[in-house]
Amino acid sequence: MIIKSGASISGYGSGKAFRLCRGNVTGTHVMSIDEAFDAERERLSALSGESDIFQAHLEILEDPMLRDSVEEHISGGESPLEAVASACSEIVSMFSTIDDEYLRARVDDVKDVCRNLECRLAGKSSGVLDIPDGAVVVADEVFPSDTSRMDLSKVSAFVTRKGSVTSHVCIIAGARGIPVALGVDIDKIAEGDYVIVNGDASEVAVNPSEDELQKFEECRRVNEGELEIIREAVEYRGHIVNVYGNAGSVEDVAKAIAAGADGIGLFRTEFVFMGSDKYPTEEEQFAIYREAALLCGDRPLTIRTMDIGGDKALPYLSMEPEDNPFLGVRGIRLCLANPDLFKIQLKAILRAGTFGNVRILIPMVTSVGEILRVREIIEECKAELSSEGKEFAAGIPLGAMVETPASVFAGASIAEKVDFFSIGTNDLTQYIMAADRGNSGVSQLYNPKNPAVKNAVGMVVSNAHNAGIKAGVCGEAASDPEYAEFLVETGIDSLSISAPRLIPVIKHLIRK
Amino acid sequence: MTTEKVVVMAPNGLHARPAGEIVRIAKSFADSAVTLTCGGKTVKATSMLSILSLGLKKGTEVEVSADGGDEAGAVNALVNLIQSVTE
Repeated sequence: MIIKSGASISGYGSGKAFRLCRGNVTGTHVMSIDEAFDAERERLSALSGESDIFQAHLEILEDPMLRDSVEEHISGGESPLEAVASACSEIVSMFSTIDDEYLRARVDDVKDVCRNLECRLAGKSSGVLDIPDGAVVVADEVFPSDTSRMDLSKVSAFVTRKGSVTSHVCIIAGARGIPVALGVDIDKIAEGDYVIVNGDASEVAVNPSEDELQKFEECRRVNEGELEIIREAVEYRGHIVNVYGNAGSVEDVAKAIAAGADGIGLFRTEFVFMGSDKYPTEEEQFAIYREAALLCGDRPLTIRTMDIGGDKALPYLSMEPEDNPFLGVRGIRLCLANPDLFKIQLKAILRAGTFGNVRILIPMVTSVGEILRVREIIEECKAELSSEGKEFAAGIPLGAMVETPASVFAGASIAEKVDFFSIGTNDLTQYIMAADRGNSGVSQLYNPKNPAVKNAVGMVVSNAHNAGIKAGVCGEAASDPEYAEFLVETGIDSLSISAPRLIPVIKHLIRK
Repeated sequence: MTTEKVVVMAPNGLHARPAGEIVRIAKSFADSAVTLTCGGKTVKATSMLSILSLGLKKGTEVEVSADGGDEAGAVNALVNLIQSVTE
């Protein structure tokens, strides 16, 4: 049985369910209310140096509001156990009606303090919990006092009904790489059930079937980097889908190839320009591109020309301040405004082309005119290289990044003039949705899964195929397995993945 | 018993930090029982949770009362504190 969780902390864990007892503590009283307060005061004072949480608990324990409320209920005829429970629910319900961030955050603390008092009263020691090795801890909520009583090295995952990703348990679990599934209907899990938590997919499997087990097992192997590396290209329904890597340095190229990438779908060259205090010479650039080309062998190395502007500036290149840099002189616009600099890069790339399977990718394309101008400049470069007696690759494919709405709508005509398309979903999403990707206020809109973006991707793929060229995706969205599935269904020819560890994952996914 | 009314001036109301200061001052006048009253509700000034539960916003009038040996000093100190919180 698979249960969807609400929010979760990423990771993979499995083991037998260990249910933390929750709800009303009942039983006979083994100590008085005074003794219970004293015992808890002593415990918390000892812990208070360890964490602010316990200091806060101590303050709550000593706050007259709690003690007075408990005393009031006792004089009203309740047992100390009942009185603590009543005081707790009274305070919690009062806090929840007040618009104060501090008080809302204290609700869990009040519950925690009260539950420990109840345990004391009933003689249920709040000592160390005897958790079996590798257990999945299942609880309504996990409080700081619970985690402080656990040997966390024995916990393989937490599954809770309540709590948020900012709660204490999530913070300490996240720091230790323990997955947490929140918002789970824990009534469906019994003590001793075999439970698997897939924090990346927000899924919990209880006593999984063979199929479910296999699916989770694959996720775990991926998570732990055990997935077999596939070196050959994979097919989906008879159509080859190349899985490339994105690279921002020569080391990245090596890592992607080692992870089984079919090539480099996006070699960002900004590092070449940003790491120095003057514009790098043709020779300097040539050495870098040649090394990357040699690493790729006969696999394609897609070199994107300088994508400066927007949020990136160069210390040695003067640029006018702009009100809207993302709608300003960036990418190919900046290169066409500085053709001398652009030519140095193009010549270095053309020369590196003789050492491998190099392709050129132009960023921020909006019109056919830009492509034609780039082709002219490339011809000028070739003529110069010839007269300088330097070797170069004459037939290097030229591709356009599709990351502006203009390049989507003018796609049919641009496709006639280029050799391939590469969709940059990061910027395409931002420009189509008119939503700044760094602005949390519009983060709901900044979503490549939005139908507007998906339709655009569909248009790009059909424009490319109608013109007989290939279309790939090099944005972050290609690394999302769910999105990758959509892209492959749409007929995409390649996916370029940022994290090398995801390259085998995506390859396995396509093959299936 | 000494009583004095004071209006909360802090733009964000009396939040956790000033409430903590009230508690510390109230506790230091150990000979008096110090209370705050607002909207018909009276709470001990030694309870941070109680003070916060009053939800004291800017412009709210609070009555500070103390009963005991140093009651005048206690009320004076708390009124001065509440007036001086301007953050």
